[in-house]
Amino acid sequence: MKPAPTLSSAFLHPAGQTLPEPLLALRKQRASALIDMPLPTRKTENWKYSSKYLKLSDDMAISLPAEGKAGTSLAIPGYKVVFINGVMIPEASEYPDLDGIVIQSFSDLDANEAQALSMQLGSALDHEQAQFARVNDARFEDGLLIRLKPGAVLDQPLFIIHNTEADACGSAYPRIYVEAGANSQMTLVEEYTSSGEASALVNTVTEFNLTDGANITSIRLNMEGENVQHIGATGVLQGRNSRFESHCVGFGGQLRRHDLQVRLEGEGAETKLNGVVVTQGKQHYDNHTSIDHVAANCTSEETYRNIAADQSHAIFNGRIHIHQDAQKSSADMNNKNLLLNNGAEIDTKPELEIYADDVKCAHGATIGQLDETSLFYLVSRGIGRREANVLLTMAFINELVSQIPVQAVRETAQLRLNDFFEQTFQEI
Amino acid sequence: MATTDTEVKELIKREYEHGFVTEIESDTFEPGLNEDVIRRLSELKQEPEFMLEWRLKAYRRWLEMDEPEWAHVDFPKVDYNSISYYSAPKRPEDMPQSLDEVDPELLRTYEKLGIPLHERAKLAGVAVDAVFDSVSVATTFKEPLEKAGVIFCPISEAVQKYPELVKKYLGSVVPAGDNYFAALNSAVFSDGSFVYIPKGVRCPMELSTYFRINAANTGQFERTLIIAEEGSYVSYLEGCTAPMRDENQLHAAVVELVILDDAQIKYSTVQNWYPGDENGKGGIYNFVTKRAACIGKNAKVSWTQVETGSAITWKYPSCVLRGDNSVGEFYSVALTHNYQQADTGTKMIHLGKNTKSTIISKGISAGRSSNAYRGLVKFGPGADGARNFTQCDSLLIGDRCGAHTFPYIESRNKSAIVEHEATTSKVSDEQMFLCRQRGIDPEQAVSMIVNGFCKEVFKELPMEFAVEAGKLLEVSLEGSVG
Repeated sequence: MKPAPTLSSAFLHPAGQTLPEPLLALRKQRASALIDMPLPTRKTENWKYSSKYLKLSDDMAISLPAEGKAGTSLAIPGYKVVFINGVMIPEASEYPDLDGIVIQSFSDLDANEAQALSMQLGSALDHEQAQFARVNDARFEDGLLIRLKPGAVLDQPLFIIHNTEADACGSAYPRIYVEAGANSQMTLVEEYTSSGEASALVNTVTEFNLTDGANITSIRLNMEGENVQHIGATGVLQGRNSRFESHCVGFGGQLRRHDLQVRLEGEGAETKLNGVVVTQGKQHYDNHTSIDHVAANCTSEETYRNIAADQSHAIFNGRIHIHQDAQKSSADMNNKNLLLNNGAEIDTKPELEIYADDVKCAHGATIGQLDETSLFYLVSRGIGRREANVLLTMAFINELVSQIPVQAVRETAQLRLNDFFEQTFQEI
Repeated sequence: MATTDTEVKELIKREYEHGFVTEIESDTFEPGLNEDVIRRLSELKQEPEFMLEWRLKAYRRWLEMDEPEWAHVDFPKVDYNSISYYSAPKRPEDMPQSLDEVDPELLRTYEKLGIPLHERAKLAGVAVDAVFDSVSVATTFKEPLEKAGVIFCPISEAVQKYPELVKKYLGSVVPAGDNYFAALNSAVFSDGSFVYIPKGVRCPMELSTYFRINAANTGQFERTLIIAEEGSYVSYLEGCTAPMRDENQLHAAVVELVILDDAQIKYSTVQNWYPGDENGKGGIYNFVTKRAACIGKNAKVSWTQVETGSAITWKYPSCVLRGDNSVGEFYSVALTHNYQQADTGTKMIHLGKNTKSTIISKGISAGRSSNAYRGLVKFGPGADGARNFTQCDSLLIGDRCGAHTFPYIESRNKSAIVEHEATTSKVSDEQMFLCRQRGIDPEQAVSMIVNGFCKEVFKELPMEFAVEAGKLLEVSLEGSVG
């Protein structure tokens, strides 16, 4: 048997030495864990369907420079922070000084804050499951720290535009850490875009730490180019009676991977995860979610929809783990998929792991196609076949997209999706 | 209501009834596994050359393989060299030809199990190919079967009498290198059943075999091969018990079903092997590979299983739906208690057009047990119009047990439809309230609810099969009809 491939040592050398000392030390320490890190293969359970899309060359280990102009498809009705290739660009960012709210790039932190942060970074993620978060741990060059003091409420959504300028082959490692104090509230929008045609790796980690009663809404748009391999991880820790809501909209690419992990650690916590994925051509998208019900009386609700056209490949893996003491848990997971062409593939695996008896858990998954009767109904009323297809497909995902609470994002997503379907059904 | 009462007690608190050891001198190999052991085994069974080659090839494959670790079970490593790979009741050269010739000690064993072979076979019209340890010792009702042209015999006999059939089909569904345990079985399989239903024949009776693991430290490696020719039908029943013993015993069986055009096989299992004691000591390791290949058009296969025994169950009866319009079904009740661990489910591989499959799985976990459903539903690019419906429900009794669901669903066809749903619950307060409000005491109420929970699967079992499962199933079956 040939030995399992390991991560090239080229990836062990981070750039960006402007970080405060405690964070540099943390990075160095985490880098040592990367030596001989096995790369996922077809036999790696959580990369079973995606490992063949992963292509890491040594020149991809080079950090992309933090220059270029940030583009966004969003009309931004709130505060804005711009990252280029994983480094914050203060000139392009706009947000006011608000009482009880810290929004600061990692590079600007003083030694004490950096020390405190270095103790927290990575704590919201299970690195066994999200292996590539380790790479980010060792490589991040900058990042954004958001601290909401108890009771603080961010009055408008905060937009973080992550732009990858891939003019040459390389990689970027954006990092966000959000600490939400008791009863604080905010809406965070993360948009991932790219320009340039060179192969690039974007390896992201976003962490949310919700203290008792905090209420966070997270919206994530993945709209990078075909040439970008995106491997992202989001970790969420939830305290008592906190509420987390996530909306992810993803467009496929060469490799798209998002791990979303939620741990309900305080009683009465609630989480809601929505996701929409569309792929066409030879694109790929892999969503892995896991919800850990650690404490009793928590509620989780998860709905993901995938649409795969042409020869593309969409994957959903949802895991609900009810721990022994998590009595009175309620968990519901639902995954529906549309497979539009015979060359496309959809793989779904909704898992339940349950160790408590007084729980209500259910999951459902379907894979199918547009309903012929509905199509006929529309066509018989004079709507063209193509338009009818677009309408029905839009309806399939709009149930989720229409729930996105920020209007600007919702409308942009709907427009983009509509364009996508117009293109998909072009031949009809 | 009295019956359902007993049922819950049987299901949850029952002690293993079949724990006794039959004192019979065994002709047993020294523990250990190497090519010589396989040569000796093959020679002893007077197998043709091709079988020995096949076994050796499987053995060499096995040496290169790693034991699978993905299942949701936890057990100490098996030392394959501490197992004896052959054990037969004495006098192998002079096998009994009829019931009268069977060692009375053996017959008494069956009687203790509540299956008076002779009487029952007559009454129920069931032919029994009883497997005691590794060699088949009695086969009844051969005559009417022969008249119909059905071949039902020990596989060791089939290897000698029908080598061309064995050569053609053995390993065609489960290749020797399919998985670790299948490779081991292919190398050292001791005996098992062979069934051949000729074209257009509806097997005149339910075929049944009993497996028992008897001699200490003897792994039992059963091999079953059933071939249903065009337009034929057979219902096959399999039931298992094993004597109580402290050491873990390994059982790695392989079952292959071949179904041609318009044929149908119904395969039912009641597995009630020794599950270990209340502290999780002892019990059978049940690592089984079961697979059906619907090669022909309109072929149909149906697996029904009731799994209540074994310390560890690793079993995924599968259907490869190759022929157009073929149908696969899987009905399962798995009950685990104390420290039992079960990782069981099915695979439905849709390759042909308009293939249909149904999966109904009911898991009940109690005590400190762990019960997992693991399944795969796969639609190949050619599976136009294929359809699957899956339902897996788990019921938890007690707060120290686990119930898990790991369904893999893969589709590569745009006209295929798959629906999967799973629920996990305990006996709810509302259900209990409703029953108690109507004057039903709590114990009866629980039994009613558990009974209702499994009803969908129990109704798939042939009624004749209630015997071996004893009260366990008898009660369940009665409950399901009234």
